[in-house]
Amino acid sequence: MASHDHAHPAGYKQYFMTWLWLLIMTAAALVIGYFHFLPEAIKAFLLVSITLAKIFLIGSIFMHLKTERINLVMLTFSPLILSIVLFFFTFGETIGTNPTHQIQNQSPAFVMPTGEVKH
Amino acid sequence: MESTSLAEQERILASDWGGGKSPFGTSWSKFMMWIFIISDALTFAGFLIAYGFMRRVAPAWPEQMTVFSPLLITFMTFVLISSSAVMAMAVSAARGGDPKSATRFLGLTILGGAIFLGCQAYEWVHFIQEGATLTQNPWGVPQFSAAFFVITGFHGFHVLSGLTILAIVALRAAMGKYSGDSVENAGLYWHFVDVVWVFVFAFFYLL
Repeated sequence: MASHDHAHPAGYKQYFMTWLWLLIMTAAALVIGYFHFLPEAIKAFLLVSITLAKIFLIGSIFMHLKTERINLVMLTFSPLILSIVLFFFTFGETIGTNPTHQIQNQSPAFVMPTGEVKH
Repeated sequence: MESTSLAEQERILASDWGGGKSPFGTSWSKFMMWIFIISDALTFAGFLIAYGFMRRVAPAWPEQMTVFSPLLITFMTFVLISSSAVMAMAVSAARGGDPKSATRFLGLTILGGAIFLGCQAYEWVHFIQEGATLTQNPWGVPQFSAAFFVITGFHGFHVLSGLTILAIVALRAAMGKYSGDSVENAGLYWHFVDVVWVFVFAFFYLL
């Protein structure tokens, strides 16, 4: 890096700053995930937010989406959108099976992967 | 935005969506790499959503950070993010017509990937020695080790493929037979592997 800095000094500095931010966000995610001081829902929300912030940073700067045409940028959002749709499909399926959200005497029997039947 | 005239707005729209010979404004190889990354992202999305489903229907879930070493996971994340940053610099050097720096940065990227893979191999060996298999484990939650092996296994295989691609690109750069596009496409794949790890790190290890 030392002898050829003059080629792309601005680019290198931007990549270095991005790297620094990614490390800071990783540390934040680690603190939130490792120490149990937050309620589960807030912890999940913060972890998802940090993850999205990290991938936007990697995508826009490391993968140069910042300089690509908007139609290519939007194309890269399709897996994320489809994931959210798929997640909420499967989320609805499991609401009755979570012990903390279980509706007594109303949820249909659910066969566990282990063969055990949950009501 | 308010100050641009209708004609100007139409021109912008045409430049973004009109296309002509290059609808996405990139080289064909870079566009194909993006198409591959998008389809690969859907594969991993499927895995992670299946994992979320299995976890929500499981009667219990082991405390991940007591099963795996938080220090090792943090180190692996640090190494992969750093290698991604160095990869971006390699692309920059290759585009700037500096094969020497590009080769050096590519070498560092490969080193990072190899360290990551070594750590993952260690983690797998440790986990298997504790009695975990694809279908059962000492914690009594079969879905736990199944999700671990499938997700980290697929990711690890991507790292291995990435190392192969990077080695070829680095060799070509060292011989002077490279183009900015080839380094950038390999870089896109490497950053994607990093993106997947960011998800795995948050959702499998921390959540």
